[in-house]
Amino acid sequence: MTGPVTGSGNRQSAGAIADEAAAWVARLDAEGWSAADEVLLEQWMAADPRRRGALLHAQACWVALDPPAPRARATVRRRGLFMAAGGAIAASVAGGFLWLAGGTTYRTEIGEIRRVPLADGSTATINSDTQIEVTLASRRREVRIASGEAWFRVAKDPARPFVVEAGQVVVQAVGTAFSVRRRDGGADIIVTEGVVQVWAAQADGYRTSLVAGQSAFFGDNAAVRISDGPPSAVDRALAWRSGAIDLSGQTVAHAVEDFNRYNRRKLVLADPRLAGEQIDGIFRTDDPEGFAKALHDSFGVPLDTSDAAAIRIGHANIVSDAEGTSSPMSLHQHGKETRP
Amino acid sequence: MASGTAGGAIDAARRRQTAVWVAREILPHEHRVRAWLRRAGAAPEDSDELIQEAYCRLAMLEAVDHIDSPYAYFFSIVRNLLVRRLKRQRIVPLETIAEIDAYHDDRPSPEQLAAGRLAYGKALDLIARLPERCRRIVQLRKIEGWSQRQIAEHLGTTEKAVEKQVWLGVRFLRQAWSQAEQDADDLMGEHEQRGGRRR
Repeated sequence: MTGPVTGSGNRQSAGAIADEAAAWVARLDAEGWSAADEVLLEQWMAADPRRRGALLHAQACWVALDPPAPRARATVRRRGLFMAAGGAIAASVAGGFLWLAGGTTYRTEIGEIRRVPLADGSTATINSDTQIEVTLASRRREVRIASGEAWFRVAKDPARPFVVEAGQVVVQAVGTAFSVRRRDGGADIIVTEGVVQVWAAQADGYRTSLVAGQSAFFGDNAAVRISDGPPSAVDRALAWRSGAIDLSGQTVAHAVEDFNRYNRRKLVLADPRLAGEQIDGIFRTDDPEGFAKALHDSFGVPLDTSDAAAIRIGHANIVSDAEGTSSPMSLHQHGKETRP
Repeated sequence: MASGTAGGAIDAARRRQTAVWVAREILPHEHRVRAWLRRAGAAPEDSDELIQEAYCRLAMLEAVDHIDSPYAYFFSIVRNLLVRRLKRQRIVPLETIAEIDAYHDDRPSPEQLAAGRLAYGKALDLIARLPERCRRIVQLRKIEGWSQRQIAEHLGTTEKAVEKQVWLGVRFLRQAWSQAEQDADDLMGEHEQRGGRRR
């Protein structure tokens, strides 16, 4: 690995880069990683594009040693619990997945999107500001959504139905992919593959089937609203899985609400007339600034970015006369792409 | 200031997320890609570079959730990089470039993919092969879940010293993985049907 530098002058060898990357991983693993450290790391990576890959490789080698299930739940705030359970973890390593028998809680912060592999081969992709509990029992795989939203790709296992509860709404699948978002008074369900059955816990016996491409709102009182949009609508609604907000004719108000789900820095619509306007584009969930700039560019509205906690869009009282008429409010703006 | 810190935290979280995904989906099967590269005629140093560059591509992704078959995705990146490299070396005839697709990769079966995800036993194996002091520290850190600081207090040493052992551990593990890969490759070579390259 640490062979001599060949060819072009002082080009660092792959092995030398890998050694430096290992040092960064050790440093990242220590206590007290600061914003200043992050800047130094960014600078190191920026100096040679290969370094980013070496860091990923070294980091993967290091996290590959983590016990599969318990580490996935070990968020920073759970550290204490995790430490206390050290003995239990060592035991569960020997005994397979005993650890999961009691149910596992996963929590994401605002802006955090996390993909969690479950022990049965299914995966849960957990959206911003969400809490779910997973219990994999021998007869039934259960997920309870305490708040927020998650998308599940369910490993086929006819003997163990996969059941998601969001308040009073229950969704059951055997092997399929779907998302559930808990809302006040019900839940949104989007099916991306296969079929799921949905029912309200109170309306015993009455079940509705949803197939791939369908989305629906289920009320706690068993009221159902199914919509068959174009297939692309489903992908758009789930763009958050790849860290994107995909807008196609959504209103500005809707988009603002979406961005505020993912960011502590809130967007504030100071000009209410903007709320009903439509906007197109693909934005990063963590880039409310970019979205505000797109509104600024397409609708000619002023931005106030002086507040670190909020971005105010538009003046509440003034309409700029000349500019207001020259840039029509219905103009569609395409935001920046998130993928190459 | 606020946005810089938040951005850094998000980057760090994303990096970690990608690393966890790589550890689960790619690392257990990296040896298959390496074996394929060897059959396609790539020198070991070139393989290292190509693999590193492929990891670099993965590191540049905003997210990895949309990738349905990670192994195939990784393999196709490496393949494309090799083709590009061969094209740059004008001396290589076009047929050779076309031929690389004839060297089949040992695409893992669904069972092997599932096994790869649960390859924790292999990870424990690797830990057992670390030099003693390093192994003790890696065990405390990874199996017991202690922090580097707690390990330093426990062993009566400095945090820097513990961090250095972790560094040695990561380096050793990287080499251990490729050594294990070598073993797997040698084993596979014995059953090799189509001859890629004489060794």
